[in-house]
Amino acid sequence: MWLNENAPIHKRDLVLSKPFVNSAGILGFAPDPHKMPFVSNLGAFITHPISRKPRQPASNRACLPYPGGFLLHTGLPNPGISRSISRYKRAWAGAPLPVIVHLLVEDPESLAEMIRKLEGLENVMAVELGLPPDCDSEALRTFMQASVGELPVIPCLSPEQIPVLRETLLELSPAAVHLVEPRGVLPNAEGNLLTGRLYGPGTFPTMLHASRELLDDGFQLIVNGGISSKLQADTFLNAGAIALGLGSTLWHLKPEFLV
Amino acid sequence: MQTKLVEVFQIGSEKGGIFDLPKEAWPAPGQYMPCQRALGDSEPLIPQVFQVIGEEGHLNVAPIPEDWQPGDILTIGTPQGHGFTLPPDMRHLALLPYQVSPGRILCLMREALNMGAAVSLFSDAVPPVEIMNRLPAAVEVSPISSLLENLDWPDFLAADLERGDLPAFSTLFEQVDLKFKGQVLVRTAMPCRGVGDCGVCAVRTIKGWQLACADGPVFPIKDVLHVAQ
Repeated sequence: MWLNENAPIHKRDLVLSKPFVNSAGILGFAPDPHKMPFVSNLGAFITHPISRKPRQPASNRACLPYPGGFLLHTGLPNPGISRSISRYKRAWAGAPLPVIVHLLVEDPESLAEMIRKLEGLENVMAVELGLPPDCDSEALRTFMQASVGELPVIPCLSPEQIPVLRETLLELSPAAVHLVEPRGVLPNAEGNLLTGRLYGPGTFPTMLHASRELLDDGFQLIVNGGISSKLQADTFLNAGAIALGLGSTLWHLKPEFLV
Repeated sequence: MQTKLVEVFQIGSEKGGIFDLPKEAWPAPGQYMPCQRALGDSEPLIPQVFQVIGEEGHLNVAPIPEDWQPGDILTIGTPQGHGFTLPPDMRHLALLPYQVSPGRILCLMREALNMGAAVSLFSDAVPPVEIMNRLPAAVEVSPISSLLENLDWPDFLAADLERGDLPAFSTLFEQVDLKFKGQVLVRTAMPCRGVGDCGVCAVRTIKGWQLACADGPVFPIKDVLHVAQ
């Protein structure tokens, strides 16, 4: 059988030794076993979102609690891809678990540039694509094409993006899909509306509902789900998720079901 | 580590509590201590408490959640962050709670008095009665204008304020060459308690962006004055 030289070659294998990862934005840019004694119970470490150029904290950054969770709005501060690599590549290489670098996707050219810089870095096992909220099918196709390379690529989408992107994801058949926290809006103390990601146990029912469709489609699914108990974790794993993304439960003093 | 919530009390608008802990485990004034109920606590964000003025010889902390009750067993983390450090040669300590309760800043009072220093509290708001009742006669209470008219008096200033008030606080000292040293406790949400560098607690300093959870929450006053946030 001859290889079709026109068909793109995708690296498809994503193997996690344990079915837990952290959500992007929860544990910083590199694992620190001293601060994170639970890190040996994770199958991979996902970095904070990294963009091509440095980003500053948002002037209206906030953590807004509500019953069952909280909204986080930070502006996704990060030192940019070049400085992130120079600062953290040694920590990534020496980490006790593989690293997945989460990239903020802005345009295909900068995405391709960031991925080229990450290829060949020791212990970086994959990249995640943090898609813009208004990403449509065509844009997803372009981003995935720009991501083709040596590393498995994991597109991240939130529940509200599933109807828009599901069919294209089925065509593209990525190594895995990461279902991440939904976005929401809350007023801050001054009455201004802030948009951000929603974390906490209140998101569990929504995430479980959203995950079912993607699991039925046969995706290798990593899912964030406001998980705070073993029962909730088992519910996702028994449904077929390959891994669970843990969020604010990792900020607790003792995330018991990881022990 | 576990401890018991021995007693609860009201301090200004916050609920406080007394933890049954040996002194060597106490957070220093300005440091924070993450804690959560040992059983049945499903809150997504765990509280972080600060030492506040209260019954002497006991660890008084605030703010604690409204539904915590005496007898609750708590899991606590080690004290975190940088607290206040009073210089050993200090003779005049100015305490300035800017638009916040003086409960946290007054924790420095006892240490300063034991050092033989004079202590003055500068506040435009009258402290709540439960705080006033704990002030010894040696501690003067004066409006902030009194401090600004006598900037030669303190040799150390300890301030406490919300992060959003840093610009307004800076205007108090506009075109003033501070001759004294000082520190500022910057109040801001610290949801990841230093574990995740989430960025919510970012504070702009002369050294660039720093995180209150790890680099603070007490900062040298010259690092945060007149720095655009």
